[in-house]
Amino acid sequence: MSSMVSNPRLEVPTTAAPDMARENLIHFDAVTAKFGQLHAMGPTTLSVRRGEFVAIVGPSGCGKSTLLNMVAGTLRPSSGSVHYDGQQVAGPNSDVGYITQKNYCVPWRTVEGNVRMPMEFRGVARAEMDERVKYALAQVGLTGFERAYPKQLSGGMLQRVMIARTLAYGPSVYLMDEPFGSLDAQLRTRMHAKLLEIWQKTQATFVFVTHDLQEAITLADRVVVMSRRPGCPKLVVDINLPRPRDVVDIQADPAFGAYVKQLWHALDVD
Amino acid sequence: MSGIIEIRKIPRSRWRRKLSSERAFDSFLQLAMLTGTLLLWEWLSTALHAEFWVSRPSSVAQAMLVWARSGNLASDLKLTLTEAGIGFLIGSLAGAIVGFLLGWVDRLGRLFEPLVLSLYTLPKVALAPLFVLWFGIGPLNKIMFSALLVFFMVFFTTFQGTRQVDRDLVANARLLGASPMSIWFKIAIPFAAVWVFTGIRIGLPYALIGAIVGEFVAADSGVGFRIKEATSFFDTSAVFAGLIVLMAISMVLLGLLKLIELRLMRWQNPGDIITTEIGA
Ligand SMILES: Nc1ncnc2c1ncn2[C@@H]1O[C@H](COP(=O)(O)OP(=O)(O)O)[C@@H](O)[C@H]1O
Ligand SMILES: [Mg+2]
Repeated sequence: MSSMVSNPRLEVPTTAAPDMARENLIHFDAVTAKFGQLHAMGPTTLSVRRGEFVAIVGPSGCGKSTLLNMVAGTLRPSSGSVHYDGQQVAGPNSDVGYITQKNYCVPWRTVEGNVRMPMEFRGVARAEMDERVKYALAQVGLTGFERAYPKQLSGGMLQRVMIARTLAYGPSVYLMDEPFGSLDAQLRTRMHAKLLEIWQKTQATFVFVTHDLQEAITLADRVVVMSRRPGCPKLVVDINLPRPRDVVDIQADPAFGAYVKQLWHALDVD
Repeated sequence: MSGIIEIRKIPRSRWRRKLSSERAFDSFLQLAMLTGTLLLWEWLSTALHAEFWVSRPSSVAQAMLVWARSGNLASDLKLTLTEAGIGFLIGSLAGAIVGFLLGWVDRLGRLFEPLVLSLYTLPKVALAPLFVLWFGIGPLNKIMFSALLVFFMVFFTTFQGTRQVDRDLVANARLLGASPMSIWFKIAIPFAAVWVFTGIRIGLPYALIGAIVGEFVAADSGVGFRIKEATSFFDTSAVFAGLIVLMAISMVLLGLLKLIELRLMRWQNPGDIITTEIGA
């Protein structure tokens, strides 16, 4: 059920073999991140399987966002390599949908126009675009706000616009960096259910960074606990809770509590 | 999940009515102040025998009438407005393009920064005599001078503003699949447009300043020339008539600009904040 990663190099071969590449969509190989004098992360070796839902938890500043940036190709590792779909990530990776807490709406477009934007970049046909915008906005509960401008919306609504925008163009991997931090608890729970539904429907791969253990366990197949900076995977736990999950009921499962306890200790005894 | 729009509730009709009656009263006040000032001006200048220095409204009106009757008002206005108008178009177009390029392309911005900074504080009016040398004493001189002043206003604003673009936003657009072309047309240019507009709003009055200063330096017609000529004849009333014409032009131009901005930049002031409840 869980495995201590004493030497991460041993768990996964250092070079991604072709058959590994087929199963593993993302592979970090002895990756480190240094910002000047600051040794921020690593060496980290970790694989994410195609279609898997992986959650990453760890103390703040341990390099969780850094990991996602490397998959997105907006940051180069200081050493080691990141492979995506069998290829080394060398530049911006437009296969990913990257959702952070930051709002990347452009203020001069309406909600609809913002959701449409990546599809325009990708040359999606107009009729299909309209349909997908409608669907995506409905998924995040923003039907009726098509014509609103970002200036008119609250932080939580803007966050949902970001999610709808990603959903609409349908990337094969979702990188989510504490995406629900600005939502209230109730909405958060609804978004969890929605996310699992989307995951099941699209069979996309999810890498989900959070500091909320309950959230991680509720959603993920596997939870990676990172150590304090310079962070590297310290504990990887398979979450063997039945699917499909009910995001509320699952918290009452005794196994759920056991996972919380286990992860909590891993985080704490750092 | 369904979104329920709930525009912030304010007993709208009531405070609208209150607001509009307040506005009407304000307009009345403004009109009253204007009339008061004119009357006071008329009275004081007569009472203090200061007509030579400050003229008085009735004389100004008369001077205006003389100016109009001679046919010069129309031709002067036409000339000055044409100079300012063409200068404005050239200046704002060039300012927008250069400001955008230097602001957007980091390398260019760094390269030209010393030049930009040294020009920033240069009193551009000092260039007016040089422009006579370059462009003669005809309308071209005024057009170019007007263009120069507008150029700097639009250029500086666009340059400073465009430089502030969030580089993360651009990186994010790349992840969203934007080609360099899309980034220019769907991110960079719309972003810069806001600043171009701000620059244009600040720069518009300078188009007129450029034309007038140009006419002050060397000309044989135009509103600026007429003001200068009247001054040399100590004809204070005609000077004021010229100034009032300039004020009227400025107000019309500003109104025009506001209209354009309202239409194009609706998103900057889209109305109420929307609060929402998500229905289960
Ligand atoms: N671009 C950067 N330049 C300098 N330091 C950075 C940069 N990005 C991240 N860091 C530092 O690296 C460490 C890890 O950052 P991050 O991955 O954002 O941590 P977190 O786990 O909280 O997401 C932090 O100490 C952060 O300050
Ligand atoms: Mg982070």
